[in-house]
Amino acid sequence: MRRTQSQLFLVLFLFLPGYSLAAVSLEALPEFLRPDPFGGIVAPDQGGAQLRSVLYDGHHRVTLKSWRGGYVSFQLLVKSTAPGAYSLTIALNDPGHKIQTDLFREWFHFTDSDKHYYPDALVPVHAPYSSHLPEPDNKIEHQTAQAFWVDVYVPPDSKPGIYSGDARIKFDAAHTAVPIELTVLDPMVPAEDVVTIDHNSYGSSFLAEQYGTAFRNYSGNWYESDQFFHLIHAYHQIFYEHRGIMHQLGYGHAGKVGAEFAPGLAGSGRTRHVADWTLFDRHYGPLLDGSAFASSRRGPRPIPFVYLPINPEWPASYEFWGEPGYETEYVNVVSEMERHFREKGWTHTDFEVFFNHKKRYMGFPWDGDEVRFPKDLNYFLEYGRMLKKAVPADSPVHFRMRADVSWDMEQQFKLLKDVVTLWCASGGILSFYRDAPQALRARGDVVWYYGGPPSVRENAAAITEFPLRAWLWGVNGFVHWLTVSPGNDPWFHFDGGGTALVYSGDRFGLAEPIPSIRLKVQRNCLQDLAVLDSMKSQRTLDSLKSKAAQVFNKSTMDDWWNPRPELADIPSDQWQGSAIDAAMEHTTKGLAHPGVASWYNVHLYALEIAGGGK
Amino acid sequence: MRIAYLLLLALALATPEWAQNNTAPLPMMRQELETVARVGSVMVDGDVCQKIVTPLAKEYMFKVDPKDPWLAGDNYDVDDVSFNVTKKSLIRLSHLTSFPSDVNLWMPLDGHPGKIQMVVRNKNEMSQFWRWGEIVQDMPVQMEAVLKTGQRLTVTDRPGWVSVLAPVYNSLGDIVGLIEAVSREKIDAHENVK
Repeated sequence: MRRTQSQLFLVLFLFLPGYSLAAVSLEALPEFLRPDPFGGIVAPDQGGAQLRSVLYDGHHRVTLKSWRGGYVSFQLLVKSTAPGAYSLTIALNDPGHKIQTDLFREWFHFTDSDKHYYPDALVPVHAPYSSHLPEPDNKIEHQTAQAFWVDVYVPPDSKPGIYSGDARIKFDAAHTAVPIELTVLDPMVPAEDVVTIDHNSYGSSFLAEQYGTAFRNYSGNWYESDQFFHLIHAYHQIFYEHRGIMHQLGYGHAGKVGAEFAPGLAGSGRTRHVADWTLFDRHYGPLLDGSAFASSRRGPRPIPFVYLPINPEWPASYEFWGEPGYETEYVNVVSEMERHFREKGWTHTDFEVFFNHKKRYMGFPWDGDEVRFPKDLNYFLEYGRMLKKAVPADSPVHFRMRADVSWDMEQQFKLLKDVVTLWCASGGILSFYRDAPQALRARGDVVWYYGGPPSVRENAAAITEFPLRAWLWGVNGFVHWLTVSPGNDPWFHFDGGGTALVYSGDRFGLAEPIPSIRLKVQRNCLQDLAVLDSMKSQRTLDSLKSKAAQVFNKSTMDDWWNPRPELADIPSDQWQGSAIDAAMEHTTKGLAHPGVASWYNVHLYALEIAGGGK
Repeated sequence: MRIAYLLLLALALATPEWAQNNTAPLPMMRQELETVARVGSVMVDGDVCQKIVTPLAKEYMFKVDPKDPWLAGDNYDVDDVSFNVTKKSLIRLSHLTSFPSDVNLWMPLDGHPGKIQMVVRNKNEMSQFWRWGEIVQDMPVQMEAVLKTGQRLTVTDRPGWVSVLAPVYNSLGDIVGLIEAVSREKIDAHENVK
């Protein structure tokens, strides 16, 4: 991320030489109204047309409010009826030199499915920014508008008060100015989030595919290069900076383990042992001691969760399953891992023993992921027993067995008590069991639910529903099941981004990921939730949640749960997918299509009760 | 100490590149995989293999519900005892090669000529034929030939790959499936880690 740290001098000058008849304008838009490249608003956000003027006060001044320790975001839309070159300027006076701004050019993706353009990828640029309209690399015929995303970061040690400035576009001798007034509020955005938002991924081959320039130009084994590990860390950094976490699964459905995810092993049976920690430590060391985040605005902090490479084929060979050799190999190596982590001081992270395989991929005879057939749970019990044998009860290193559950979750919550302590649950099915989150958390378990990122074809506020639901439900977090896979050609033939919240910066000469509008909206939502939850010292948590739900989409807390269906009383191996859909009808109907202004309304509520006024 | 180091260095330099890459040249690969396939054809128990995929899984394998695209996968189940016995045999067979290899089990489906199913895969996740994630796929002509004739067949269609296909028999003498002993010249450490 290119950071412009200054006295909030975000300066955009627009020059359009030779086109003196062009009508040029600069408009500020709230984060929930995504523009198109022709000066309009994308169709899914048009229902929020009433938001178009909310940034402006009676003097046509852009007014922003921010708590300290957080971000406030808006968009700038440069419009011109004629093509030409441009550049621009903004000035905002911050005598303390604390406030920082990040400027991003919004990439307009063409989606083949509906033949429309949507902005999403945010290309970091320096202010003042100079380019052409139409933007040369975006290659949009007759483009008349270019959008920019502006992040204003207000550090915790900023001084509360009003900061004034303006954004200006200049055209030949004339220019148009938009005054900006930022009010920094005294309250702080809590550093800790009230819900954990996880961004999941699988393997590392996506990095070679998306960073072809670096991959092709490297002469040795790129997967062992500093460049490769820096890139992995950059992915963790971008999610961390946006108040999220990242998971990267390191093995396949038949147990193939990527070398960078696991220590090298040697020997067999009694002699199986860790032979080489080199790649594992290069990968995980900076993440587990927090040094990978040393330059982050949030400060260095160890990642809170990480997948281990443990699967039915690692560290013990499945050849010995059910025999003494399997347990010996498993216990010996896991014990070595515990010792290594303890010696390194990696005691602030939960190390997850997680089985992702499904029997439909023919590697193993039981489902580790989304168990449907109760007989498969015996494998979990056996792995739980071996894990307890491998890890001393008083170890400061935190190992957790994790299960991603759907069909059979209610039974698993009972049968795997004290074995599985991290639950990642299907949101649809968890909605049948309203008492489950509290009961699980009361016994010390962590509870997340999972889903996928909304496509860019949904409205800009759609992504806020996931963190809100997590908070309303009282679970610990939400998992986006895949967030790093924007498709073969996200730039000109986009699939909508249902599996991506970041993009490769390779196209723009950056050996790091770049963020999306959806990721920014999600981060700002998480800030608001953290603030709202912090108000429980003054109001009941139930009243805060009820009000948030009401302003979000006029819902009540009951609307967020489904009644326990009859289905729940029959064995899950007799359930059918279509029946599950029917059992979710209450929430499907009641919560459909939160409006474009839904999160804006929650934000206003948070401002109202946390020192911002209306 | 210095002499030992020099000896080690000399040994390392003497090691052919293919061995340093933990693989083997194609002719050697082909020879060893043919041995594996020949032994496997004798050692893999076709009666046990026939018990792996459950009747429920077979019942749903070809059902289609437009509202439920995961119907076949969600109902896919195996008898874990039969699966484990067979998988352990396949793993041990793969140890016969001097380079990383897999031995996969494929089985045709009664009542569905022209279709075949991967039933057991192994840890290097290699196959010249499997279309990732598919429970049932069209029968490759080479597999059809093995199932019809009982003759082993070596396939090198994909550059750098060798698969040797060999029949699996049950106690009646029927060919009930086949094994694919497979490896490749350049191991891709990251393929299929997903």
